[in-house]
Amino acid sequence: MGGDPTGDGSERVAMVVDEDRCIGIGQCELLEPDVFRLGDEDAISRVVDGADLPRARALELVDRCPSGAISIADA
Amino acid sequence: MTTIERSAVRPDLADPATYDAGIPHEAFATLRATPGLVRNPDGPWGSGFWSVTRLDDLVAVSRDTTTFSSAVGHIQIYDVDEDVRDARASMIDLDPPIHTRLRRLVSSAFTPKHVQDYVGDVRRRIGDRLDALEAAGGGDWVAEVAAPIPIGVICALMGVPESDHDLMIEMTDHLVEGTSSAELDPGAYGNTKPLRELPFNSPAAFGVEEYARRARRDRLAEPRDDLLTQLAVAEVDGERLSETEYARFFQLMIFAGNETTRSAMAHLATHLMDHADEFDRVRADGDLLDGAVEEVVRHASPILYFRRTAMADTVLAGTEVAAGDKVVMWYASANFDEAHFADPLAFDVGRPRVPGHVAFGGGGAHFCLGASLARIELAELVAEVLRRGLRLRPAGEVETVSSNFVNGVARLPVEVSR
Ligand code: HEM
Ligand code: SF4
Repeated sequence: MGGDPTGDGSERVAMVVDEDRCIGIGQCELLEPDVFRLGDEDAISRVVDGADLPRARALELVDRCPSGAISIADA
Repeated sequence: MTTIERSAVRPDLADPATYDAGIPHEAFATLRATPGLVRNPDGPWGSGFWSVTRLDDLVAVSRDTTTFSSAVGHIQIYDVDEDVRDARASMIDLDPPIHTRLRRLVSSAFTPKHVQDYVGDVRRRIGDRLDALEAAGGGDWVAEVAAPIPIGVICALMGVPESDHDLMIEMTDHLVEGTSSAELDPGAYGNTKPLRELPFNSPAAFGVEEYARRARRDRLAEPRDDLLTQLAVAEVDGERLSETEYARFFQLMIFAGNETTRSAMAHLATHLMDHADEFDRVRADGDLLDGAVEEVVRHASPILYFRRTAMADTVLAGTEVAAGDKVVMWYASANFDEAHFADPLAFDVGRPRVPGHVAFGGGGAHFCLGASLARIELAELVAEVLRRGLRLRPAGEVETVSSNFVNGVARLPVEVSR
């Protein structure tokens, strides 16, 4: 895993959506509406510019996307 | 190599009679406790298959669409010839990337945000059906509530007029019978095709197909603001769906959105009667409503399994699986996996939400398109039953659907009072 200085999952991380894998279920937007937005027309999820989440929550989002389209943008 | 040859596996998971008394929980528990994958032997329906019964293994198969294909072989246990498969294929029988391009034609209509638009229609249908049931003091919960609401909702969503809803219910009822022992006249609904070329080997599938072809022609001639029009004019890689592709898409949505939700609603009635105390918890704490819905769907496991076909030699749960092998994901087993669900047979509306059940699929490209829609239908139905303070009591024999594929209920007579 990348840097997590505090080790408690509170470090904030950016996320990416693989647009080819996303099937538009919208689980991400339901859980974190400020971070993920589904396109009105194409229902593909995109990360809001500059949005991030605590690592622990980010990992939960990765897990709860049914299509495995979300990952953490580890620098 | 830990291939455990168990030609003596009982019961035969491919035999519809195995499910006559509901999900065979004991048999599945035994399979889950058996290391590796267990091989179901060859049968009259075709060659044998590997049974995936534990939740972690199921999720691994479901999410790996490269190794485990939906497009090769068949997504049901029984074998079909290649020409037949091609004649029937819709997105559920395709792999990414083409699968996903097709799915995107409709996915925006089924997001959690968008399905909120249908809540009004869902409530009206639920209200009407419960009014009628209450006025009669009861009746067949399946015919009066569980069947008409989901078909009404999916038809309205697509733009099928109200006057055709009864015909849709009738035809989809027959589709389910295609996977069971019931017989239907091969020429029903004007069918001219060999039954083997039709989904569920059912002439009713022909009826649904013809209906869709007409709908497409109508919508192209006279566009409306509905999903049937959207699907008729949409383009994949610069081309519209052919009439046949359109018809299969329609067929898939009608079937997938119908029998499954009906089954969950039928099982809901049983839980309302058997676990009134759990629903008292929901009445007292509205935050438990979503948990109640998930628990109903987990217990119902309306679709017992889907199958994939291995594209390469691989090892799964320590068992060597060869390219071409059938791999069957038993949702009806994984949803009761004791490694994930404490006291799995208990009905508990307060279960933790993570990890979730796999009744809508184990994740991956094919995860249920209608999951959010089904959830609001069930949540609104539970909420309205509780709001009215309805009490259900058994009023006759329950008939189940004889099938190795769906956990369906054909008839469920109840008495209703406040
Ligand atoms: C409680 C109700 C329902 C259950 C239990 C259910 C279950 C499932 C399951 C298990 C799958 C296969 C997932 C996989 O292969 O990973 C699926 C796929 C599908 N479901 Fe549902 N479903 C329900 C309601 C609905 C509704 C209301 C619709 C309405 C449109 C719908 C439409 C579909 C479609 C179109 C697919 C194929 C998706 C694809 O291949 O990409 N389902 N469903
Ligand atoms: S949860 Fe996953 S599949 Fe669903 S919209 Fe978000 S990224 Fe796409």
